[in-house]
Amino acid sequence: MVSGCACLFAPGAPVQAQRYPDKPIRVIVPYTPAGTTDILARLIGQKMNESWGQPVIVDNRPGANGNIGTEIAARATPDGYTIIMGAAATHSINNTLYPKLSWDAVRDFAPISLVAVVPNILVVGNSLPVKSVKELIAYAKANPGKLNYGSPGTGSTAHLSMELFKSMTGVNLNHIPYKGSAGVLADVMAGQISLTMDNIPVYLPQVQAGRIRALGVSSARRTPAAPEIPTVSEAGVPGLEAVTWFGLLAPAATPKPIVEMLSVETARILKLADVHKRISELGAEPVGSTPQQYAAFIRSEIVKWRKVIQDAGVRLE
Amino acid sequence: MDLLDNLVFGFTVAFSLQNLAYCFVGVLLGTLVGVLPGIGPLVAIAMLFPLTFSLPAVPALIMLAGIYYGAQYGGSTTSILVNLPGETASAVTCLDGYQMARQGRAGPALAIAAIASFFAGCVGTLLIALVGPALGEWALLFGAAEYTALMLMALVASAVMSQGDAVKGLAMVVLGLLIGVVGTDVNSGMARYAFGVPALSDGVGFTVMAVGLFAVAEIVVNLEQRESREVYTSRITGLMPTAKDLKDSSWPMVRGTAVGAFFGVLPGTGPALSSFATYMLEKKLARDPSRFGRGAIEGVAAPEAANNAAAQTAFIPMLTLGVPATATMALMLGAMTMQGIEPGPHVMLAKPELFWGIIASMWIGNLMLVILNLPLVGVWIRLLRVPYRWLFPSIIMFCCIGNYSVNNNEFDVYLCALVGVLGYVLLKLECEPAPLILGYVLGPLLEEYLRRALLISRGDPTVFFTRPISLAFMIATVFILAIMVAPAVRRKREEA
Repeated sequence: MVSGCACLFAPGAPVQAQRYPDKPIRVIVPYTPAGTTDILARLIGQKMNESWGQPVIVDNRPGANGNIGTEIAARATPDGYTIIMGAAATHSINNTLYPKLSWDAVRDFAPISLVAVVPNILVVGNSLPVKSVKELIAYAKANPGKLNYGSPGTGSTAHLSMELFKSMTGVNLNHIPYKGSAGVLADVMAGQISLTMDNIPVYLPQVQAGRIRALGVSSARRTPAAPEIPTVSEAGVPGLEAVTWFGLLAPAATPKPIVEMLSVETARILKLADVHKRISELGAEPVGSTPQQYAAFIRSEIVKWRKVIQDAGVRLE
Repeated sequence: MDLLDNLVFGFTVAFSLQNLAYCFVGVLLGTLVGVLPGIGPLVAIAMLFPLTFSLPAVPALIMLAGIYYGAQYGGSTTSILVNLPGETASAVTCLDGYQMARQGRAGPALAIAAIASFFAGCVGTLLIALVGPALGEWALLFGAAEYTALMLMALVASAVMSQGDAVKGLAMVVLGLLIGVVGTDVNSGMARYAFGVPALSDGVGFTVMAVGLFAVAEIVVNLEQRESREVYTSRITGLMPTAKDLKDSSWPMVRGTAVGAFFGVLPGTGPALSSFATYMLEKKLARDPSRFGRGAIEGVAAPEAANNAAAQTAFIPMLTLGVPATATMALMLGAMTMQGIEPGPHVMLAKPELFWGIIASMWIGNLMLVILNLPLVGVWIRLLRVPYRWLFPSIIMFCCIGNYSVNNNEFDVYLCALVGVLGYVLLKLECEPAPLILGYVLGPLLEEYLRRALLISRGDPTVFFTRPISLAFMIATVFILAIMVAPAVRRKREEA
């Protein structure tokens, strides 16, 4: 295979961190404009531009579940002038889902900083007579094979979170895949399907309007966006944790001092009040971490999702 | 909120300086591009919609809607002046409009086209405001089974009712289906017919299809022919129709609006069919049918009203159901998705500013069209005199920019060139690209909903007949098929 191609194509002269950055920085976003990944990249880019005086250009390279943009980033010149806003899918799930990919999330990337995490929310339609996670488990066990859950796509964190839920509780739920979350929402509202455990932003307004019922959030702690909703873990499935996340990475051979600079700068930006507010409005929680913490996080995520994918028997190739 | 509140809300959205400006820019660009030979709303939107990428959703869609009516109207102008329809729908306008122009009555023909379009536009807008929300609430009752039945009806209607050879129409729908299933399968998540090309794992993009089949193929065909376009400018006498003209066209205008509004709402039929249907209706109702085709003003007023009414009501299924009624609407649907709006029943409830803002801007757009077009006829004619050797490279350039900017991927540009070759072959074989586009759009949706309905029902196919809305669509599908088959059967019997 094309192993270590990023290093092979690297120019000989190391870039001096002292002068960095002296030209525009490109942030690859492997998804379409106006999605969460894109908005986060633009937010951080704008602040970097303000403090470093160099333009930060967002380069949307959508397609193939994020794999097209990620491949471009893996093969980019590792000089710190091309980085990528990765996500849970591209950097912890896809290598397991698509074993034939030419890049590897760990081997080909130098993690910079985790940027934000988005919890999933477990919601049921109002017609389903359950009010808590425990009642849901009891109902599903009493009516095996009756309940359908929706997800915005096969291999999405919503799909895999529910598969994790299934394997941890032993209940039997049928997966109904959709193209995107809006269809899932509409069908849960109308009672066409029973439940879903999908990214919180789309569902929270409908929960607050009383058109669907929230049973729990999938993060380790309750979310500041809706502190009244318990975590699934405390409500009956101890240890369940499944979040969608977003973070910056550079090609693997990028000089360490530059990665370090980018990491410190990202952490600083994530502490700014206005950035904090914008990210919270997206239903996400700003994080900010060192390259070492982020690398450890990615490795643990890959292990976790690989087990879920293998247990559930999800195969895409 | 009741109707009046909603409309007032819509107008406050549409009357913001920004939205008004985008509406005007859209109408202007649409008209400009629409008068170009061979370019109708579909190609105009395909070419211009990357311009709206950077805009927020509401102004972006207002501008696209403006481009849509503008292009539609621009097509009528060239139909009347030079017998060159910008799109299928205005082909009917050529029949009598061009004859009127040759008799020196281009002025009244253009004026009546504008008046009829405006009248139909007003009625259409009001209709969306009145019936749209009701349809929207009703749409929440639509599950996978109902969508399946609806898509089936739309596919049958588009295949069977499209003008021309029925077998070719069906073949085009099937070809469209085949192209439509390229990409990641929703259920298994596996890539189909992608041949290991990552760019194909999301399917063949709509811009690639629309630009390739319509713009690129059309240009190749035009380049084959020697330039022989005549321009009748010298003899345009008097702009305004006489009192008799107005009296003659008032009822055709009303009937055309009614016919158009009906066909517009039906997914898969659309404006093209409505203008043919209303032309036939007027010819049947006329005291002297022989005048048609020789410059009858009714023959301009009725189809123009019909295609504009249909253009308006085509928004109802798209905005409230997420079902594109025409290929052009499918493109609008794509544009909405690109704006992060998943079209469907919830759009109206979740984004009232978008829904009512667009409705209000439809009326404003129609008004702007009248104001813009009547005085500017002279300018349009001058634009038509641009030699084709200057025109086509610019169009090709716009096509490339448009295709590249959808995914920032040069693969789409090559793919579009390939689709252009396909489009050229199809034109040579006299196969219409419209059913292909509808098959391409509706086929994968039909598959998605069919499989989802069966997944939810655990493989029980009776869901399509036990749920009332689904059953109604199924009966309608059979009915449409029967209407189409009946004449053929009768003819066979007469022959025997």
